[in-house]
Amino acid sequence: MNDGPLIVQSDKTLLLEVDHERADECRKAIAPFAELERAPEHVHTYRVTPLALWNARAAGHDAEQVVDTLIGFSRYPVPHALLVDVVETMARYGRLRLEKHPTHGLVLTSTDRAVLEEVLRSKKVQPLVGERIDAETVAVHPSERGNIKQVLLKLGWPADDLAGYVDGEHHPITLAEDGWTLRSYQKEAADAFWHGGSGVVVLPCGAGKTIVGAAAMAHARATTLILVTNTVSAHQWKQELIKRTSLTADEIGEYTGTKKEIRPVTIATYQVMTTKRQGVYRHLELFDARDWGLVVYDEVHLLPAPIFRMTADLQARRRIGLTATLVREDGREGDVFSLIGPKRYDAPWKEMENQGWIAPADCVEVRVTLSDEERLAYAMSEAEERYRFCATTPSKNRIAEALVRRHAGEQVLVIGQYIDQLDELGEHLDAPVIKGETRVRERERLFQAFRDKEIQVLVVSKVANFSIDLPEASIAIQVSGTFGSRQEEAQRLGRVLRPKADGGGARFYSVVSRDTVDQDFAAHRQRFLAEQGYSYQIVDADEVLAEGEEDPAR
Amino acid sequence: MGGDFTAWLRGRADEQLRALVTARPELIMPVPPHMEGLAARAATPSAVGRALDRLDRFRVSVAETLASRPGPVAYEELRSSLVRALPHRSRTEDRRQAAALATALREAVDRLRTACLIFGPDEALLPAPGVREALDPPAGLGPPAAEVFRHHAPESLAVLLADIASGGTAAGEAGTEAGTGQDMTFMTESAATAGETGRAAPPVRRLAALLAEPGTVERLIAEVSPQARAALDELAWGPPSGRVAGARREVRAATARSPIEELLARGLLGATGEETVTLPREVALHLRGGRLHRDLTPGPPDLDGVARDQALAERTAAGQAFTFVRTVEELCELWSHDPPGVLRAGGLAVRDLKRTAQLMDLPEWAAGLVVEVAHAAGLVASGGSVDGEWLPTSAYDAWRVKATEDRWALLASAWAGMDRAPGLIGERDERDRPINALHPDLRRSAASEVRLRTLSVLAAAGPGIAPTAASVIGRLAWEQPRRRVAHRDRLAEFTLREAEHIGVTGLGVLSGHGRALLRAFPSYGPAYAPKSGTGSGPAELLAPLLPEPVDRVLLQADLTAVAPGPLTSDLGRWLALAADVESKGGATVYRFGENSIRRALDAGQAADELLAMLERHSATPVPQPLRYLVTDVARRHGRLRVGTASAYIRCDDPAVLDEVVADRRAAVLRLRRLAPTVLASKTSRATLVDALRAMGYAPVAESLEGDVLVSRADARRTEGQPLTRAGTAAGPDPDMVAAAVRAIRAGDDAHLARRGPSDAPRGQVPRSPSTATISALQEAIRQGTRVWIGYLDSQGHATSRILEPARMEGGYLTAYDETRAAVHRFALHRITGIADVN
Repeated sequence: MNDGPLIVQSDKTLLLEVDHERADECRKAIAPFAELERAPEHVHTYRVTPLALWNARAAGHDAEQVVDTLIGFSRYPVPHALLVDVVETMARYGRLRLEKHPTHGLVLTSTDRAVLEEVLRSKKVQPLVGERIDAETVAVHPSERGNIKQVLLKLGWPADDLAGYVDGEHHPITLAEDGWTLRSYQKEAADAFWHGGSGVVVLPCGAGKTIVGAAAMAHARATTLILVTNTVSAHQWKQELIKRTSLTADEIGEYTGTKKEIRPVTIATYQVMTTKRQGVYRHLELFDARDWGLVVYDEVHLLPAPIFRMTADLQARRRIGLTATLVREDGREGDVFSLIGPKRYDAPWKEMENQGWIAPADCVEVRVTLSDEERLAYAMSEAEERYRFCATTPSKNRIAEALVRRHAGEQVLVIGQYIDQLDELGEHLDAPVIKGETRVRERERLFQAFRDKEIQVLVVSKVANFSIDLPEASIAIQVSGTFGSRQEEAQRLGRVLRPKADGGGARFYSVVSRDTVDQDFAAHRQRFLAEQGYSYQIVDADEVLAEGEEDPAR
Repeated sequence: MGGDFTAWLRGRADEQLRALVTARPELIMPVPPHMEGLAARAATPSAVGRALDRLDRFRVSVAETLASRPGPVAYEELRSSLVRALPHRSRTEDRRQAAALATALREAVDRLRTACLIFGPDEALLPAPGVREALDPPAGLGPPAAEVFRHHAPESLAVLLADIASGGTAAGEAGTEAGTGQDMTFMTESAATAGETGRAAPPVRRLAALLAEPGTVERLIAEVSPQARAALDELAWGPPSGRVAGARREVRAATARSPIEELLARGLLGATGEETVTLPREVALHLRGGRLHRDLTPGPPDLDGVARDQALAERTAAGQAFTFVRTVEELCELWSHDPPGVLRAGGLAVRDLKRTAQLMDLPEWAAGLVVEVAHAAGLVASGGSVDGEWLPTSAYDAWRVKATEDRWALLASAWAGMDRAPGLIGERDERDRPINALHPDLRRSAASEVRLRTLSVLAAAGPGIAPTAASVIGRLAWEQPRRRVAHRDRLAEFTLREAEHIGVTGLGVLSGHGRALLRAFPSYGPAYAPKSGTGSGPAELLAPLLPEPVDRVLLQADLTAVAPGPLTSDLGRWLALAADVESKGGATVYRFGENSIRRALDAGQAADELLAMLERHSATPVPQPLRYLVTDVARRHGRLRVGTASAYIRCDDPAVLDEVVADRRAAVLRLRRLAPTVLASKTSRATLVDALRAMGYAPVAESLEGDVLVSRADARRTEGQPLTRAGTAAGPDPDMVAAAVRAIRAGDDAHLARRGPSDAPRGQVPRSPSTATISALQEAIRQGTRVWIGYLDSQGHATSRILEPARMEGGYLTAYDETRAAVHRFALHRITGIADVN
């Protein structure tokens, strides 16, 4: 029997025993073709999916390598069917290639005629292709480059896009490494992207994705379009770019709801791009406004569907996607793969944390027992009202307030979903509340004050979920949230994960009503966080109240 | 010739006759009375057909060559003619082939003679009676000319003869001489009548005679165009007929316009139908250049395949074997609690199979295989009645506690020996009805044979070689070219797929334990079984390859437990109770959840016990969230209490109930006070009412509403019998063979001596106790001696007989009865006594 660290399961998951002496070596070997699914303390679970195998293929790994790795590290015999499946799946990538043809422009070619015939028979492919040039080549209209890749992926024959990119309008951009340097993984990520042409870089929140974007721009040295989730995020990108690169404020334009600047580097929000007036996307011309040499997509996992459609037309330009996770709630991972590109770089959260790039976090779930009246009221409430009721009970607010008091002197964020509850909390805690209606200017002022430690407690609604930078928040208290979405969880955790000046740990509390649906959602959250490898504890609210100033979780 | 054969057969030694009977067991079912009977039976078309079906392609070729010659053929002559049929490659290659052929031919002739398909000494070998007929037409040859031209009108034949002759009569005469010069004559009808080429003979005969002369054919072929020549070559190696429009046209050699017409006009082709033309055998033989077979090979075709690391293959097979055993166990556990129904026509509904496949996370064909193998191994069966259910048998309970390797060995041999084809599940039969799993229609008589043959081909491939499906099928076809097995190729493909799933093969290579499995079926094993290591059975070989059971799990904060290998059975069962299985394979991932913890608590485990068990089997401390989960579920567990009471007493006045409880006569009612105004009782409502009446109260029975019975369905077992394993396809056992030969020999002696039934000695056979009778008969069977018995016949008359006992089985004795001069079966219980003949 082999004494490897890996156990290959018949459902295509790989179990890696992390305490095994060869675990590190094994992790590096399987990372290219398996997605890390769960990383709790002892056994990490990876999954081998077709997309993961194609990602590996795009990165230059072949099936033999994958099979050898599996057999070499596996403790038990690897199911034959799985090996066969790996070989077959990997062989599907690159059978079809998109190439440049000297006379016909863009062509789809294949050395395997049967495959070409198969896909050409598909009704979805037919409108995208032009005349048949020879037995192995068919012309594709350049505007359909993205669509055909999407369709081919759905058919299970992902095309290898070798048609190259336009250089775009040259614009000098260099990194200004004064007093800081590119971290090793940031450099690797940017290099991997540049080498691959287009693709996605997966880095945890707080690992400095903006800087990877800047490094990619420095590689491209061309005009760049940056698409971000919201206005606040756009501001931050701008500030970060001014700080980290040779770019000046004049060279960077913001294209948002309020400003419409088009400059060599333009930052636009998803929202403005997807705004329709009279059924027409008003701001599509931005894509053609300049001869962009690079398009940066921030938070790829949130990319809205219309942007995918627009991206399909941008296939001749280099694209880099930045994200913390490839998991999309809508399951459109395939579109990310075919339209933005394969995964080019990935680093597990835990690893980065061990290297000290991101702060370690403790997760504590506080279970609040509802009072008898509250229980009765909960039992009688309407089904659709139940979550709201149990998420906003006064008992819960009391605990949240107790927690804030416990951590007096530290930077505390209170996060919630329901505005009434947040307002109430803000009043009790005497803390400012940031919600949807708060103006951008006001928001930025409050954030800055929080950063400067003028304010120590900030109550925020879900508007704060995305791309705001709160470096000194060491405590986050979640009082209510949207039905246990994984993505939201990753974002919230990201709020407190940013490395802190003092290197101290972060604490993530979630306050949960016992024996209600709130607890069920908390179970999802617990699972997700534990799977991400965070320490997770459950304490009773009584302990929090009884022990007063002492920390029950320590 | 029949007489010669019988005489030759009679001259065979007993040992040779035993070999014959072993090779062709159908000859002694039932045992023939004497040698003439044996010879006659051996010559029947069905017996010859079955014997020929068992031959490989080379042996068939040898038999065909012999059968195509008119008279006896000497061994050397046979060899030289076969050597000519070898394909020519290079000089050294030819020499090597010829040497291989010499060895193979020696063995083939001996085998054919053993099987009595050919007879006579090496100097004059003859096909046995019936063989020639069974092999007709041999080697894809068409009918002889006399047959082809039989229905031609005499006038058109005359025209044909004239055209053939017009090429020059001189050439025809020269041809006659050339014909005699040919060193080999094949038997054709025309050859037999070649003597009468006189003008008086009917035109058909004359034509046949002409065509039999190679010179004539050679000349005729030389006359035709290259296209026509190509058409002939097309037909030369069979099939011997082709389709052409207007075959019966009038053509003359001079006016022939198409290649076919050229041939028809010269009698090189004959019309045998409106649209069919056939190549006469004489012409074909000429075209084949004196050979009967085109590409004769003395050995089987090579097996193509990928070379793999044998050790890796063994490991893979063992891993799969382990998984398969576990899958079967899972199936039985599943069906214990939730048995699927038996269809009215028998079998398992498509829906139930789908559901089972889904629950076990298997593709449907694999689920069908698991179900079928479990059934064949006697682990599941139906209650037998209409509306029955498929349930595990009591044999399952015995199987479950065995070691994994023994469990596998039982499953694998059940699979190898079962006469069913699980691969067909889900397909449609000829009436377009779906074929269901466990349905009687799934029987295929050849299934086991093809399966074992396929495995023996894999065994022949040698260690580390994974032969391709195509080459395995090719080899199977070579081994029994005449055998028409329905779906043989598909059955072989199923076998390859199933063997991999069961773990008989790994990466397509037959594993050591798979090889040992094959050894259990001697008629397929010995030819290829390696000499060494024959002592170990499949289970012994498999055992060291299986993963060691572990007794620790890794507990994690995401509420999972990972068992990094197979668990010891106690721990495995406990974990299956307290957690849900999330992923299977080499390891098992369990997930704890509220429901699973509650299930464990319901099963009587306390929270402390659960935690203690977790601590004992965890290498690391129990994660806090898991500990919290257990205590949190336990906190709420059992707050509501539910019990069983078959009757209750309710009274608004608690004082009355006090009275009842205090009454000594109420003790037998086992009353329990649930509340001040309610008593619960274990007795039935009627008993309770009666008892209370007897005590002087006036109770009223209440309706059953609100009476809740809670019970968890127990694992159930069928009352039905497990499937008895079908007898394996192995041949008759040696004792039976020896006894049968002895019986034939004795019968033959009697027959030759024209000895009537001999009288039994006078007087009554002394009575003997039945145990003594049986031991005496066993002794007689062993020694081959005769005994004198007293027997009550079916009318109840006491008779006395002299027997030569052959075999004792199932309460019956099979023996040659000298007094009746025939082989009979005797009921043991009717044998009144036994004595020595002398």
